[in-house]
This record gives sequence, structure tokens and C-alpha cells, in this order.
Amino acid sequence: MDLFGSFALLLAFACAGYAILAGLAGIRTRNPLLLKSARNAGMAVCVLVVLGTASLVYLFYTNNFALAYVAEHSSRDLPSFYKLPALWSGQQGSLLFWSFLLSIYTFFVLFTNRGKHPELMPWVGVILASVQIFFLTLNCFVASPFSLLGAVGPSGAPMILARADGNGLNPLLQYPEMAAHPPNLYLGYTGFTIPFAFALAALLGRYPGEKWIHLTRRWTMVAWGFQSVGILLGAHWAYAVLGWGGYWAWDPVENASLMPWLTGTAFLHSVMMQEKRGMMKVWNIWLVFITFLLCILGTFLTRSGVVSSVHAFAQSSIGQWFAGFLVLILAVCLLAYFKNRDYLKSDNQLDSMVSRESSFLFNNLILLAACFAVLWGTLFPVISEAFTGNKISVGPPFFNKVNIPIGLFLLFLTGVGPLLAWRKTSADSLIRNFGWPLVGGALAGAAAFAGGFRHFYALICLALCVFVTLTIGGEFFRGAKVIRARTGMNWLSAVSELSLRNTRRYGGYVIHFGIVLIFVGLAGSAFNKDVQQAIHPGEQFSIGPYTLLCQEFETRQGPNYTAERATIEVTRNGKSLLMLYPERRQFNTANNETGTMVSIYSTAREDLYVVYAGRDPDSGAPIVHAYLNPLVKWIWIGGFVLILGTGLSILPNQRVAIVLSAARQYAEGGPAPATSPAPVSPYGAQH
Amino acid sequence: MLALVALTPAQAQKTDRAKAIGHRMFCMCGCKQILVECNHVGCTMSTAMLKKLDAEVASGKSDDLILQAFVQDFGAEVIAEPPAKGFNWLAWIMPFAVVGGGLWVIRALLSRWHQPAPALPSGSAPPPDVLARIREETDREE
Repeated sequence: MDLFGSFALLLAFACAGYAILAGLAGIRTRNPLLLKSARNAGMAVCVLVVLGTASLVYLFYTNNFALAYVAEHSSRDLPSFYKLPALWSGQQGSLLFWSFLLSIYTFFVLFTNRGKHPELMPWVGVILASVQIFFLTLNCFVASPFSLLGAVGPSGAPMILARADGNGLNPLLQYPEMAAHPPNLYLGYTGFTIPFAFALAALLGRYPGEKWIHLTRRWTMVAWGFQSVGILLGAHWAYAVLGWGGYWAWDPVENASLMPWLTGTAFLHSVMMQEKRGMMKVWNIWLVFITFLLCILGTFLTRSGVVSSVHAFAQSSIGQWFAGFLVLILAVCLLAYFKNRDYLKSDNQLDSMVSRESSFLFNNLILLAACFAVLWGTLFPVISEAFTGNKISVGPPFFNKVNIPIGLFLLFLTGVGPLLAWRKTSADSLIRNFGWPLVGGALAGAAAFAGGFRHFYALICLALCVFVTLTIGGEFFRGAKVIRARTGMNWLSAVSELSLRNTRRYGGYVIHFGIVLIFVGLAGSAFNKDVQQAIHPGEQFSIGPYTLLCQEFETRQGPNYTAERATIEVTRNGKSLLMLYPERRQFNTANNETGTMVSIYSTAREDLYVVYAGRDPDSGAPIVHAYLNPLVKWIWIGGFVLILGTGLSILPNQRVAIVLSAARQYAEGGPAPATSPAPVSPYGAQH
Repeated sequence: MLALVALTPAQAQKTDRAKAIGHRMFCMCGCKQILVECNHVGCTMSTAMLKKLDAEVASGKSDDLILQAFVQDFGAEVIAEPPAKGFNWLAWIMPFAVVGGGLWVIRALLSRWHQPAPALPSGSAPPPDVLARIREETDREE
């Protein structure tokens, strides 16, 4: 099966090469047969990569420890559920997984657009195949997951070595979130290849208009949605598994996932300026290029050993390949831009500083500044060492100090931007839209201050969260009111109808509300507390309103680990609330790795987060570390709302569906649509 | 089981001040975690560092002197943020310089957009029929 997998990947490599060459030849000669065969070769790559990946999965499930990758990342007693995540737990497998996801995206793009956009799609196919061939080169020749364990035999000849058992999967990865986090993140990274391919294709093919944006908007939303889920799942994993009480440590690998998310967010906003007003064409093209470059840069950072990280893959020479690829992409982007930049002239100009367009400009500036701050902080230790020869560290204190003010300004713009009109906003409109939200935000801030809130940023954040929530609520209220007045629907139906009529606009508002909730959760971290205490059974200690009574410590056996577990009774105001069971696990892996099982009592107000930290080296007494983390739950709720909003914004507008179905009925010989089914638009210009 | 019993958890800080200072330093075992957040299994480094931190705080030294003492023992890498001096000022200045530079670019763009746009060079725009067809296709598909 290893031979089958290797062969499938080699064939995929050949097909990708053919797709590039035939595509370029077809574009040059305008030969439709060549173009068609290039497209089919691009789709065949997907089938072959899927076969290659499936064969590796099969080798994991059949415990084939002759394969170095399987021996390194799996073992016989690894639960079946985790044999699939083991696929992407190491360098070679994760690169194959990247190829796998990219090939699936490519297949769907080529398949759904077959026969359409003849000036654009051949270029898209060539670019996607070019990215694919880079990863297939790594899969086949640089970091093959199908390498066999080798040894030198008694005669000096090489021989295949099959081990009885493997090292096992890193225990930190043996959690459900970790099974879902990398696929989502990779779906985000690979998904951004699609808008990149369309943008570069539009530029290389001198393809006029905004069509590439229309074609890729949903793909970009899908990639952005997956990236968001991946980041949130990673944060939840760090919180629930690593046991240090937090969810974001500004580690280079975490930063690598955040940077393309920030530029992707900027693109999703600024693209509206191009669609509505034909502005920012150069900017949008470069935002897509930068987003894709950041995906590759992040991969380079985490795989090259340039920056040290808790999560980085083992250092290897593979970083050079990514550095080379990065330079090549940048060179192609620059070349395409300078050759064809006359096709990117803006159709319109900015009419007023107080307009939707200017808010998008500021929104983009702040998002890019945040991205730069993260990149700068991540790379600064390397830069500083290169210039001064001294090693320094850049950690959470730096990132928090720099990014919190930037983030709060972004939160402010989240409330302001969507309510400004295109072209110019009148003073009356400003007062009407922002009066109540401003009053509400100020009152909330004042009430929090009077209630004892003294943390500056947390106070500002709270006031802004109320302000933004009221602006979003106001938008839904005004729209639903118009629909109610015209149709007599109840409020819930009117809000639902409103959202479905313009899914992009109202989905965007739901996403903004999700971001507000996430900020509420982040603000809570200003008030975190923790207590670490050595306690014996029968002893207790307090944190905030909770008292933790240690009942017992026990050792228990799991499927592939031994655990020491504390049983802790939590009481509040003298009343028993619940039992918590934090534990430490010793896994039966080659390195006898250990893992933490944090026990969390989560409420909307706060999380009681309890870690069994081990035993005191001197006294042998068990140590329990308890944290009181306010409002954390709102981060996960906000993430859920954000995903709902993303899903809504991807849906087609109900209006379009009605119009199309009426038109289809007419075309099929039905009665002509005498009355227009187009719905009421509460506002003239739509988002 | 023996390995579990032999775990060496980080020591609890005695004061809030020690915790606050501990948040400004990294554990130096290589785990890249903030000193007071290091729960790295078997970490002998954080235990010793936290003991030292508590002792320094108990001796009544100022925060800066305590941090300096750690820099002497472990090097500048122990501090979790770049020192605001010399070349390292750049770390702090650049993100805000980018915001400032961006604002300047926006201002320049605004003033440029308020001027009449120059005509496109002849031959650079696509033929009108191609433009019209593509726009029609776009409208139809959207």
C-alpha cells in the first residue's frame, strides 16, 4: 500500500505538471482541446492525491510500522479515533494533508466553473496546479510520508525494518479539539489559494471588471470561516488541555494563523468598495496576494526553525523550500502587477471622509496594522539578533500592549462602518444612527466605572461592546420594522425575512456581533485570578466565591495511559455545587509523555478552572492550581455566533431565488411574472 | 506511576507583586511559556526561578532591580518584552509608525482622488464589447 500511495502521488505530480504546461500552451494557442485536457488533468490530481492520502490512512489503521511516518506517530494501543488525526500530526503527513485539501478545493473550482469564463479559468487552473505541484514536490521528493524504516543488514546491504510497535501519538494531540483544529486551519490556509488564483489569473489574463471578486467571494468566506473555526478550536484546545489557564499565548504558530485571518478580513471588507464603486482595485489584488503569502510565510516560520515555538514542527531543511516558494510567488505577483497595472485603475473617487468608503479604508488600515504588529513582534527577535547580536524575547506583554489599543479601535469601527452611507453621510443620518448607541455605550461605561471597574482597557472595551451591539441591534430593528409595517409579520419572522433578503449584509452584522461577544470574553481576562495550593485530602482553599475541598487522590488506568486524579468538591456560600476531577495522564508512548486534563466549571459570569499540577517535590503533597477566569465562555459563544453569521452570509439572497424561479417559470412557458416578486428594501443602497 | 509522583510542579508565588513580575518573564527551560504560567511537566527551571523571584520580592527590591537580577542570571531573553532602549525601541515604534504611515497614505489618496483622474492611455482598456459581455455575464450569474 505504501508503493501504491507513492505511485499515486507521483502520478498526481505528473498530472499537475501536465495541467500547467497544457494550460499555458492552450492559453497561448487558444486551443480548446488543450485547455479542456489541462482542466481534466487538474481534476485528476485530486483523485490521485485522495488515493495517496487514503493509502496512508489505511497504513495507519493497519498498524504498518515498516513505514517511518506511521511508526513515529502511531502505536497499536492508540484509539482508532486518533489514527486519522495522526495523519497530520507530523511534518510529512501534514504536508500531504495540505495537498489533499488543496486538490479538493481545486477539483470543485474547476468542476463548478467548467465551460464558464473562458478568458479566466485556464489561468486559474494553471495557478492552482502550480501551487499544487509545489506541495506535491515536497510530498514526493522532500518529505515523503511513505518512506520505509531502513537499516543496514549483516551483509552491509540496506534492508527494510519493521517495528513491532510505534512511538504513539503525542498525547497533547489526543483530544477531540485537536482532531478538528488542524483540518479547519488547513482548510483556511488552502482555501485562500482560490481567491489568490482568481486574482492573479485576472491580472495575468488582463481580465477586466470585478468578476473575479464575484466568483471568489463565497470561496473567500468559506476559507475565512474555516480559518476562524481553526483559530477558535486551537484557542479552546490551549485552554482546555495545556492547563496554564489561558487560551492565547502569542506563540509564533498561533500568530502565523492569525495574520492571514486579519488580511483576509481586510479583503472581505475592502472588496465591497470595488464591487459597489469600482475603487481599490490595486489594494484588493494585493490584499489577496498578501493573504496567500502570509499563509506560506506562516508555514515557513513554523517549519523552518527560524523562530522558536512550542508548537513548531521539528527543524528541517524544508524551510528553504518554503522560502524559495515565497520568493517565487512574490516575484510572479510583482511581475504580473507591474505588467498589467493599467487594468486596475479606479472607476470612482472618494467623495467624503464621512462615508462607508472611508470607514473601509480605516478598517483596512487597522487590520493591516494589527497584522503588521503581530508579524513584527514574531520576527523581531530574529531582526534584533541580526542587527545587535543580542538575543531578546518578544512575548505576550509586548503583543498585548501593542494590539489591545489597535483592537479597540477596530471594535469602534465595527460599530461605525456599516452605518455610514456610501459616498457621503449627512449629519442628520449620523445623529439618527449613532445617537442612541453612543448614549448607551457611555452609560454602560459610566455604570461599570461606578460599579468598581477600574481597568482602563476593560472599561473602554465594555463601553464599545455596548455601542456596537446597539448599532447592530438598531439595524435589525429598523429593517424589521419596515417589513412588519408592510407584511404584518411578527418581529422574529421579520428579522428572519430581513436577514434572508440580504444575507451578506445581515450575515455580516451577525459576524460583527460574534466579534463583540469575543471582545467581551477577552475583556474578562483583565480580572483573572489564580491560587496554587498544596492540599491533602480533607483540606480546602478558596478562590473568589468558591471553596475547593479536596476529597481524594486516586490512580486509574485508561486505554493507553495511567492517570492520577484529584476529586474536588466545589462549594459556594456553604452549598455544594459540583465535583471536579482534574487529572494528569502518563501515556504509554516511547517518551512516556504526560498530559493534563483540566476540569472546568463554566458559567456565563466566569470559569472556575482547576488543574491538578502534580506533587510537591519536597513534601509529596498534591498541588492544585485553581484559576478564576471571568467571561471566558463568551469567547466560545462569540465564535459560534461568528460561524452562524458566516454561514448566513454565504447563503444566496432569497430575493435572487424568487426572481430566478419566476424567470425560470416564465421561460418554461408559465405565466409572465406580472407582479414583481422583488422584496421591499428598507434602505436604498444595500451592503 | 512513579514518574507521575515525581512530577515537579511550579511553586506558587507568595505575593501578587511576585505574580505580576513573573508575568513579565519567560521560563528559561525552553518551553517558551510565561514564568508564572509554566506548567511544563518536570520543569526544574521554573521552580528555581520562582523561588528566586519570591526571595527577590521579599528582599524589598524594586521591580526593575529584580528584572535586572534575572537578566544577569539568564540573559536578556528572560524578559518577555523588548527593552525600550537602543535598537529595540523599533519594536515598540514600528506598529504605531505603520498606523501613522497608513493615515498619511489615506490622506494622500484622498487628495489624489479629489483631483480629476487622467485619461487611460489608448489601447489599454479592453474593447467595449468584451467589457459589456463580461458585465452582462456577471449580472446574470449574481
